[in-house]
Amino acid sequence: MTLASTIFGLLGCGLLCVAVAASVLRFQALPVGIRYVLVTAVVVAVLSPIGDLSIAGTVRGVTGDLSVSTLALAASAVFARLTGRTMFERRERNALLGLVAGAALFLYPFALGWTPFDPYALGYGSIAFTTVLLLVSLTAWRAGLNLVVLVIAAAAVAYLGGAYESRNLWDYLIDPLAAVYALAVLLPAAVGKLASQRRQRAPVV
Amino acid sequence: MNTRETVSLAAIALAFAGLYVGAFEGPPAARFVAPRAAAPAASSKPRYRPQLLPNSSTLSVHSATAIEIPDGRLRAFWYGGTREGAADVAIYTSLSSPRGETWEPERALVSREFAQRHLQRYVRKLGNPVVGRDPAGRIWLFFVSVSVGGWAGSAINAMVSTDEGETWTPPRRLISSPFLNISTLVKGPLLQLSDGTIALPVYHEMLGKFGELLRVDAEARVIGKTRLSWGKSSLQPVIVPRSETEAVAFMRYAGDPPARILVTRTRDAGAHWSEAVKTALPNPNSAVASVLLAGGPLLLAFNDAEEDRESLSLALSSDFGNSWRVARSLEGRSLLPGAPVPEYSYPWIMQDRAGDVHVLYTWGRSHIKHVVFNRAWLEGGG
Repeated sequence: MTLASTIFGLLGCGLLCVAVAASVLRFQALPVGIRYVLVTAVVVAVLSPIGDLSIAGTVRGVTGDLSVSTLALAASAVFARLTGRTMFERRERNALLGLVAGAALFLYPFALGWTPFDPYALGYGSIAFTTVLLLVSLTAWRAGLNLVVLVIAAAAVAYLGGAYESRNLWDYLIDPLAAVYALAVLLPAAVGKLASQRRQRAPVV
Repeated sequence: MNTRETVSLAAIALAFAGLYVGAFEGPPAARFVAPRAAAPAASSKPRYRPQLLPNSSTLSVHSATAIEIPDGRLRAFWYGGTREGAADVAIYTSLSSPRGETWEPERALVSREFAQRHLQRYVRKLGNPVVGRDPAGRIWLFFVSVSVGGWAGSAINAMVSTDEGETWTPPRRLISSPFLNISTLVKGPLLQLSDGTIALPVYHEMLGKFGELLRVDAEARVIGKTRLSWGKSSLQPVIVPRSETEAVAFMRYAGDPPARILVTRTRDAGAHWSEAVKTALPNPNSAVASVLLAGGPLLLAFNDAEEDRESLSLALSSDFGNSWRVARSLEGRSLLPGAPVPEYSYPWIMQDRAGDVHVLYTWGRSHIKHVVFNRAWLEGGG
C-alpha cells in the first residue's frame, strides 16, 4: 500500500500542478489542439524525476496528499480550461465550497490546541462523525447536490481502500488548500451580497 | 427517482456501510504494557562512568536516543551537521560494547537526500530521532523532517529494523496533523500497547504548543490520537507507565514564569489525561527525560534552572512524581571541566536489563555524552 499511496499522492499533486498551470497560463485562450499538447507537456514535466524527485514530489513535500475536495476542484479547473465548459454547476460547486469552509472553521482552530477538544481525532473511525457525514450526504443527495455526494462517497471509498498514507477520514475530505480556496471564493461573494442587500434596503432620499 | 439519483444513493449506501463497519471494528482500547523489571543491583558499590561518544563527522550534534539490544550493547542515535537545521544534518548512529563501556565510530544512517528519495517528497532538514521497541520486538526509529519553514513545519517519519538495528526499512511518513501534515515532532520514548500497537508521545508547535499521544499500528500508520495538553506552553512529553492503565507524563514548559516542568496523568491507559500542572522542578524551556526504575522510584533528568541549560541534574520521586528529591548533579557550573559551550540538554534516560542506568545528552553541542551508573551511586548523592 505504500507504493500505491505514493503513486496516488504524486498523481494528486501532479493534477494540482496542471490545474495551476492551466489557470495561470490561461489555456482557455489558446486553440483547442494546443491546450491538449500543453496539458500533456505539463503532466510529463511535473511527474518526471529531476534527480531524486519530480516537481510533483516537491509539491507533495509541502502540501502532503491532497484531499478529494481539492482533487475535484483541480480536475474541474483543468476540464474547464481544456473544454471551455464547466464540469459542475455553480450551485453544486458553491455547495461543496460552503461545506469545505464550514468544516475548516470547525476543524482547524480546535486542531491548533485552543481547547482540550480535538476534532481531528474524530477522523479515526468515530461513529458520531460518520453519522454526521451520512446526514450531510443524504441532505446533499435530496437537494440534488451531486458534487457533494460524489466527493464524500469518493473520499469514503479512498479511505476504506487506504489510498493515502493517512488513516484519518478528515484528510480524505478536506485540506488547507481547499479551505483557503473555499473561503477566498465565498467570503467576497457573501460580502458583495450583503452590501447589495443593504443598498436595496436603504431609503431613497 | 431517476438513474442518477439512484446511483448516487447507492454510492452513499455502499460508502457508509464500509465506514460504519470500519468504525465498529476499529482498534479496541489498548492498555500499556507494564515496564519490564530490571535485574536487582548486583553490587552495592557505587559506580559512575562518563564518556563522550565519538564524533569525527560533524560540528554540531543534538538530541540523543538509545536502546539496549539483547547482548547488552546499546545502539544510540542522534542528529548532527554543520549546525542545527542545516541541510547537511543527518541521523547518526553508534553501537557500544556490552553495557556501554566503549562506543564504535559513528556513521550516518539517514541523510536528507536519503529521506527525500524514499519519502518521495521534498525534505529541507532533519531533526530529533527517537528509538524504541514494539511489542513484537522490532526496533523503530522515528525522526523529524521539515520541508518548509522552521521546526513548526515538522513531520514525523518511521523506519523499522528486525535485526536489532543492522538494517532498516525505508522511511515512511506518519500522518498526524490536518495542517498539510506539518507541526508534529517527537522527543519522548514510545510505549508498547497490549494489542501490539505502539503509543508515541509527540507535540505540536505551530501557533499552539501542546502534547499528544499517537497510536501507531504495525505498518507505521497513525490510527488514533489523544491530546495530553492544550494551549501554547507545553511540549516534548515523556510518558512513564507504572501499570497497564496508569502513567505520568512530564512536559517541557514554554510559558510565562515561573518556569516549571509540567505534569499530567492518566488512569485509563492514555484515553484521558488530567489537566497539565506545574511541578516544583524548574524548567528553562528544555526537554526532560524520565524512567521508572526497578523497585519503584521514578528518576527524572532535567536542567536544574529556570533560565539556561548550563546544569543537568537527576531527581528521584518515591510517590510517582508528586514530590522530588534532587539526587545528583551531572553537569553544572561548579563541575569542571565543562564543555566549551555550556549547554547540557535533551537527556535520554533508560535502565538496562542488568539494572544500570544510562543517560545520554547533548554536551556543549559538540558531543553526545553518555553516563552510566548504578543505584548505589544514584542514591548515595545526599
